[in-house]
Amino acid sequence: MLKKIIIVTVIGLLCALSALNAGGTKEQTTQAQTVYTFGGSTTVAPIANAAIAAFTASKSDVKISYEGLGSSTGLKQLSQGTITLAGSSRELKDSELQSLLKPIVIALDGLSVAVNSSVAIANLSREQLAGIFSGEITNWKEVGGKDASIEVIVRDETSGTYASFKEIVLDPYKKSYKTQSIVARENGELAAKIASTPNAIGYIGMAFNHIVSEAGGHVLTIDGVEPTSQNVIDGSYPISRSLYIVSKGELSESVELDFVNFLLSAKGQSIVAENEFIPVTR
Amino acid sequence: MGKSPGNLKARKRADAAVSNILLLTAFISVVAVLLISFFIIAKALPFFTEVPLREFIGSTVWKPSQDPPSFGINSFVAASFFVTILALAFSTPIALACAIYLSEFAKGKSAEILRRSIELLAGIPSIIFGLVGIALVVPFVRSVFGGNGYSILSASIILAIMILPTIINISEVSIRAVSVELRENSTALGATRWQTISRVVLPAAKSGIITSIVLGIGRAVGETTAVLLVGGNAAVFPTSVTSMGRTLTMNIITDMSYAEGTHMSSLFATAVLLFFFILLLNALIFAITRKPQKRDG
Repeated sequence: MLKKIIIVTVIGLLCALSALNAGGTKEQTTQAQTVYTFGGSTTVAPIANAAIAAFTASKSDVKISYEGLGSSTGLKQLSQGTITLAGSSRELKDSELQSLLKPIVIALDGLSVAVNSSVAIANLSREQLAGIFSGEITNWKEVGGKDASIEVIVRDETSGTYASFKEIVLDPYKKSYKTQSIVARENGELAAKIASTPNAIGYIGMAFNHIVSEAGGHVLTIDGVEPTSQNVIDGSYPISRSLYIVSKGELSESVELDFVNFLLSAKGQSIVAENEFIPVTR
Repeated sequence: MGKSPGNLKARKRADAAVSNILLLTAFISVVAVLLISFFIIAKALPFFTEVPLREFIGSTVWKPSQDPPSFGINSFVAASFFVTILALAFSTPIALACAIYLSEFAKGKSAEILRRSIELLAGIPSIIFGLVGIALVVPFVRSVFGGNGYSILSASIILAIMILPTIINISEVSIRAVSVELRENSTALGATRWQTISRVVLPAAKSGIITSIVLGIGRAVGETTAVLLVGGNAAVFPTSVTSMGRTLTMNIITDMSYAEGTHMSSLFATAVLLFFFILLLNALIFAITRKPQKRDG
């Protein structure tokens, strides 16, 4: 019996392995493909990956990949020539602009701050936000509310939203997130937890303002400015930033140029919106 | 109606063919288990070459996207441990009492209703448990024990309810399997019903009851969705029952969608740890269920 067991198992494994192999070789042998490697900001990654899928759907001879390296690494590899387009979620430094890197804004990113309905506050300053999310301000009365301890809700550490909020709100004050915060895995869960936890505060992609109010929380103004797409576009809303695709030098006729143009087209911008960012061209 | 030897031979051959086909299908599951283990271990291996095991299990600092990153899952091991122990503490007494009632006392329609509802409880998807947890358990813990309600305690209350059917069903079956002679002998010696149950029936059903508890542990350790919604998910070491916590399974699912490189393989390494733990539990069940058979024979 044992012998039988072993034989059958081995046969099964061999079948499975050969199936895996077949899958692997097929991919390599399909005709001559030109491979392009882009990379950079992980915030840009969902847009880039969705756009690449749509862009290459009709082009069987082009294969593009986007590596989530982080903005700085991406820009470095771009100037070294390892990749041919870089995604960046921060503005370029002077040194990078001098080495002929050329940024193109492809989307805007804005984050709303939302609170539970029990919080009788309508506005916070950026400095107060930094204090709350770093754990230095722990009671609502310190920012003009009632005497109740603040429950901070954050996104999971690897999400782009977590990183965006840290860069825009905490980094300018050289602060880091407090560890005693409830972690929500996605925007829907975050909205639900803000709505169900008294004295809670959290941040969420601006596209989700309506879920927050539907769930029963409310969205704050920051430095007196409402979080609307319009205020992000005119630059008055502080928790916002631009997302860039960066090329080395001016793009001439190439797959890269086609890809950038695709991103800026109506189709490309609808992909931007689908991925919860604010389109730049309307 | 004489059968020719040829006919018999053909039938024997058909029999053998069917049994071989059945054997082959049975081994799909064996192959699946092997492939899954290979896959997880292969994905996790690069991690162990980069981060020493001692740091992985010993450190409580989980900052996978920091520079330099830190991959310490000690807090998550602790959270998994505490949540499971608490869930068992809540669940076992209730489940055992229920199993005793079902096997020894319950009769007729009421027993039928009870049994059906326990089966139903086992079939409820874990996301529903999680939502009920957010709506009922979290506010309850918040108002009675303080804190924000998302806690080790909330997670273990939800888990306790989820593992009830596992413990009840297997315990009930093993209590029922205790022979009538044992009970009659005990009664003949003048023991009361309760004395019979507590001194004769339960000890005789011990191995089945322990197996049910170990299976409950397995279910509790592996549960993800429900605890994710009520545990708070903060990557901190749990210091009290009301403090937030992140279990091993929560950690895998939280980071899975964005992780890459070493971070991704660290999640597979977490899975390997879980996998070994479940294997250990299975070995334990194997050891427990084997013993009494020897005694009987």
